[in-house]
Amino acid sequence: MNQVFDFKRFTLLVAKHWNENRKKYLLGLVAMAGLLFFWYGFMLIVDGGQRIFENMQVMTYFFGLALTGCFYGSILFAELSSGPKAMNYLIFPASHLEKLVCGLLYGVVLFFIAYTLVFYIVDIPMVMLGNSLHKSNYPGEAVSRTTEIVNIFWKTYSDEGPRTDSNLHGLFILMYFAVQSAYILGSVYFPRFSFIKTTISLLLVALLISFYLAKVLQPMLPDGGHYMSLTSFRIFENNDFNQQKIVSLPGWTNNTLTFLLKFAFAPIFWVVTYFRFKEKEV
Amino acid sequence: MISVQHLHFGYSKKPVFNDLSLELRPGFIYGLLGKNGTGKSTLLRNIAGLLFPREGQIRVLGFDPGNRSPAFLQEVFMVPEEFHMPDVPLEHLEKHYAPFYPRFSQEQFRQYISEFNIPIEGSLQNMSYGQKKKVLISLGLATNTSVLLMDEPTNGLDIMSKSQFRKVMAGALNENKCVIISTHQVKDLENLIDRITIIDEGKILFDQTIDNISRKLSFQISYDAEEISSAIYHESSLRGSAIICANTEGEEGKIDLELLYKAIVTNQAKVQSVFNA
Repeated sequence: MNQVFDFKRFTLLVAKHWNENRKKYLLGLVAMAGLLFFWYGFMLIVDGGQRIFENMQVMTYFFGLALTGCFYGSILFAELSSGPKAMNYLIFPASHLEKLVCGLLYGVVLFFIAYTLVFYIVDIPMVMLGNSLHKSNYPGEAVSRTTEIVNIFWKTYSDEGPRTDSNLHGLFILMYFAVQSAYILGSVYFPRFSFIKTTISLLLVALLISFYLAKVLQPMLPDGGHYMSLTSFRIFENNDFNQQKIVSLPGWTNNTLTFLLKFAFAPIFWVVTYFRFKEKEV
Repeated sequence: MISVQHLHFGYSKKPVFNDLSLELRPGFIYGLLGKNGTGKSTLLRNIAGLLFPREGQIRVLGFDPGNRSPAFLQEVFMVPEEFHMPDVPLEHLEKHYAPFYPRFSQEQFRQYISEFNIPIEGSLQNMSYGQKKKVLISLGLATNTSVLLMDEPTNGLDIMSKSQFRKVMAGALNENKCVIISTHQVKDLENLIDRITIIDEGKILFDQTIDNISRKLSFQISYDAEEISSAIYHESSLRGSAIICANTEGEEGKIDLELLYKAIVTNQAKVQSVFNA
């Protein structure tokens, strides 16, 4: 058998994990659905029978996803925080990679699918309820003014800004996976209070980057700013907006940078988690 | 089977092992004795790959335990002092652990569970600490791994369970298996272990087989003042003095592990001199 990854052993591990955690997971999903029902119900009551607008659905979805997903990520390898659980977990005959991929399967893939399903199970009837309440409360309004069920995977323009080709919701989802992967790494790094410690660490990193951009990079650059992409810079000469110069790096650099920012963070954090996991001692 | 060579290990500010070397062979039950905090559990965790040597080398069945490869892990089972078991029915536990251990025996598991008077239909969720420990011991034995590490296995077991434990353990050993039991409750290991290794301050204080100890030492109750004063170790009791003296008769008698342990801890040189003679 392969000592790094064996598919049969991996499926057995997935089955074992489900057997040991299914009650916890099913209860978690029920609690999540309950909270969403409560939130939408609260909105319908305080808004006096208004509809549940698309923006509210999007905000609810992504706020809930970020909060619960990051929290779950921060306890994904919680076994490692307690001596007896860590021993049981590390000495179990499966490879580090199989244990990590099993954790990611439940914590990243299945959680995302389950959360999205639960969201729509609550969202669809509540939006329909909001529409019918609105219709009965405001009978004079046109029938066409009902709220649509939002597509949380796809949105190609923002309500306020100009039309663009980028998928805004897709970008949010990628950002979520990147941030959640940092919490997953935190669950291996910090044995206790992983969620709080990872949040503080991320805030410190954000603060350092902001400081670097504002106090180190900005003074080195001429007047102007990034234009349309991260690799194009617009310079205003003599503070005159009519005298502009645009300095651009080759197009492939922009494409590569965008690709890395969108897709590379999560896998990089997962790989670091793997190596940290391998060197874990109890 | 297990080779510990020049092991150096310590926690952040506290050194535990300084150049510890040890060889353990299959077919024996080793009793690892020592005071609290002398490194018994640390040694077991190093052997299991849960801790990594700072210097030196450990090989178990040719594997480096620190890699925690599945081929190594399926040959090693550890019963820790503080343990965790999932809250699942025993039948599920059996079903989901069995495929990971190539020599797992369902028949043995059920037999051990029955000897410990635990119903197979039960669930770990509703069991006491002692019952869970008995399930873990049964599971460890039924996996039939080549190496079985047990850290204070009798802690939390009642009197009846302790004798059941000794009975079960005695029947579970074979020539391919190496069992290491770490404990400070030496009485629980009487008539069970084949070799005693005593660790103190990170070093091997004493390491002898039971046969050798029986040949070299004699454990008696004495009322003779001269005999008592010349003994390697003596301890007053209600019925005379318990003494250890050199076995000059050649007759092998019963070993009082607790007495031997005290003798070694208080005067190791005197005990060791008998074995060096």
